[in-house]
Amino acid sequence: MMRAGLRRGDKRRLVPRWLDPHGRHLGTWAFVANRLTGLGLVVYLYLHLVILSTLLRGPEAWDGLVELFRRPVFLAFDVLLVAGLAFHGFNGLRVALVGSGLLVDRHKALLVAAGTLVGLVTLVAAVRIVG
Amino acid sequence: MDAPHVIVVGGGGTGGALAHDLVLRGLAVTLLERGELTSGTTGRHHGLLHSGARYAVNDPESAVECIAENRILRRIAPGSFEENGGLFVALTDEDMDYLPRFLAGCAACGIPTRELTAAEALAVEPGLNPALKAAVWVPDATMDAMRLPLRFFATAQRNGAQLRPFTEVTGLLTTGRAVTGVTLRDHLTGAEAELAADLAVNATGPWCECLAAMAGVTVPVQPSPGVLLALVGRLCDLVVNRLHMAGDGDIVVPQRRLSIVGTSAWTVTDPDDLEVPHEHVLAMYREGAKLVPAVASAAERAAWSAARPLIGAIGGAGGGGGRQLSRTFKCFDHAVTDGVEGFVTITGGKATTLRAMAEATADLVCAKLGVEAPCRTREVVLAPHTAYYTGRAA
Amino acid sequence: MSSPRTVLLKVFRYGPDDAAPRYDQFRVPAGPRTTVLDALLAIQRRQDPSLSVRHSCLHGSCGTCGMRVNGREVLACVTRLDGLGDAVVVEPLAGAAVAGDLVVDMEHVYRRLEPVGRPLLRASERAGPDGAEAAAAPGTVPVLEELERFEDCIECGLCLSACPVAGDPRFLGPAALAAAERVLEEPRGTDGRAVLGLVDDAHGAWRCHAAFECSAVCPAGVDPGGAIMRLRRRLLADRLPRLVGRYHQEVPS
Repeated sequence: MMRAGLRRGDKRRLVPRWLDPHGRHLGTWAFVANRLTGLGLVVYLYLHLVILSTLLRGPEAWDGLVELFRRPVFLAFDVLLVAGLAFHGFNGLRVALVGSGLLVDRHKALLVAAGTLVGLVTLVAAVRIVG
Repeated sequence: MDAPHVIVVGGGGTGGALAHDLVLRGLAVTLLERGELTSGTTGRHHGLLHSGARYAVNDPESAVECIAENRILRRIAPGSFEENGGLFVALTDEDMDYLPRFLAGCAACGIPTRELTAAEALAVEPGLNPALKAAVWVPDATMDAMRLPLRFFATAQRNGAQLRPFTEVTGLLTTGRAVTGVTLRDHLTGAEAELAADLAVNATGPWCECLAAMAGVTVPVQPSPGVLLALVGRLCDLVVNRLHMAGDGDIVVPQRRLSIVGTSAWTVTDPDDLEVPHEHVLAMYREGAKLVPAVASAAERAAWSAARPLIGAIGGAGGGGGRQLSRTFKCFDHAVTDGVEGFVTITGGKATTLRAMAEATADLVCAKLGVEAPCRTREVVLAPHTAYYTGRAA
Repeated sequence: MSSPRTVLLKVFRYGPDDAAPRYDQFRVPAGPRTTVLDALLAIQRRQDPSLSVRHSCLHGSCGTCGMRVNGREVLACVTRLDGLGDAVVVEPLAGAAVAGDLVVDMEHVYRRLEPVGRPLLRASERAGPDGAEAAAAPGTVPVLEELERFEDCIECGLCLSACPVAGDPRFLGPAALAAAERVLEEPRGTDGRAVLGLVDDAHGAWRCHAAFECSAVCPAGVDPGGAIMRLRRRLLADRLPRLVGRYHQEVPS
């Protein structure tokens, strides 16, 4: 009779199973990216509300913050934010479609299309934010 | 009074069917298999449920066994066979000359046949060589080489048999010349142990000489491997055989989305470490394409060898490497043949005759142990193969 | 001719009484056709007889030799070493209870499959869409519409190992959900409504996140990801009319 020993046949995990990149294909990358951008956007939303709340402390505090956010590093972050938002949005549409059983056979093509749109939107945003 | 304890060594189809039969007759059974169940020869065959037609002319004893078991297995394991049938296809004038003998042989063995014209054959099996001359439909069928025997294991387990895969017999326990148990090693844990039994059955197929040697006896079994070729694509829906005396590459068996072309034959002394001679693989392509033209351009999924256990003298039966030996099975009571009590060997046979081999062996085992119980395996419907995995305590 | 190549295999080793798993290294000769299973059996025969490996059919049809090679789920018997590099990591399937070394207990696959009750047989492609329920009378020559074949799924468990969310033991998983979709496509006497009820669950068809890793690794062409999405379409077709007050009596196609 076989005795089951170790619960999972893998080495001690540094990352959770869903984040492990070894041997994974395109669809999983999209899923991982969706999760990461989703988490990132939630964190950003919280920070955004915290920052908005400085309005309660009057115009000087607000203007000071806006000056800070005009620095290059924060502009770059803004571009990243747009990219993340665009990916989560367009890929989210893809997941909603495919996840309802529509266009399932074309899920890879839809990912490529989403990626192209993300690239375009990010490019336009980069030009307008940095320029 | 405790039921007698029988150790079955060998977890192939024969061992599984035997465990099932013995447990139904009220005996305690422990089955030991050194690897995964059916990992010896049983799991490697092309999946043909024989109608026996291939043996109708030259080996009628085998043919009669096959057609009887063909019917029984469909009854006790419903839903486990693609029941499309098989065709014996005549391509040459020589094949056509063989046709009357073939039909007569099948009739004599009780194997139903239906003669088809080339057009009729192509209508039911469009994958055939369009240049065929005639065909004969026979009640061949296709099984899953592992999952069909697994139903026997599942049922035996459900009824109380102890199944121990990855457990290898390292020696036999004896008192005088009688076998009283085995020494074993559990490969998963590395633990070694002894297990006592009232009787041990050698059901190790082409390896039965190795186990027999541990008891100081010999069994006239010739391991005879053959090459099989799995091609990508379901190139036919019926089993396609060449209508001639047995030869290399004369069968194409569909298996899900693969097509298996077989086989060849040579003899070895060691059934482990089988070669896959490249000329044999090429022969499979060549001969298989004569039956089903799409074989020629199909991609290879795998090429492998499997050793049949043929009953016959070692080193005897000259050239032809094993094709002349009968494909029937035989039970050896070593108390009678060698004066060794408590030890029985069952060998020979085909995947299709696993239940019959088990019945003959169980009859012998029960006679030796003084157990009076009739065989019920012709009637008992088998559990689904999934029960083997879900029915085990962790 | 160049001398035969050798490949370094790093093989997961574990016995149920061990505190932790380890990786043993073996050098094996590798020809152009040598498969991972060939190499493992060569190790077992010539270097370390204590290495335990599952296998049976040697041609990717029984599904017993599933394992992870360099992180990717494959059937070892049809995976050639050629092209995998000079160092190859071999591990058992993820999320499965390891019985010893590369041998896993497949109970986690079958306890999910069994409740679905998928018949093993289906209409063959040549039988056409209406061939499903017509079976040839025993002993008679079939016509094309009566031809049958085994379902594609070989129950290898690669999909469950590859799925990023199958770590959750409550999730039915790709194999069982694909089996459920097959049962609904071709019932062969099973109860479609019961199967719909089984998969219409937060841990059934709705738990999937559309990573399609299952379809990417499936060696038998089942496309479980696609099957799960088709299943969802059925569930939606079943639910939406009920939301507007009309009850669907038949199993929706």
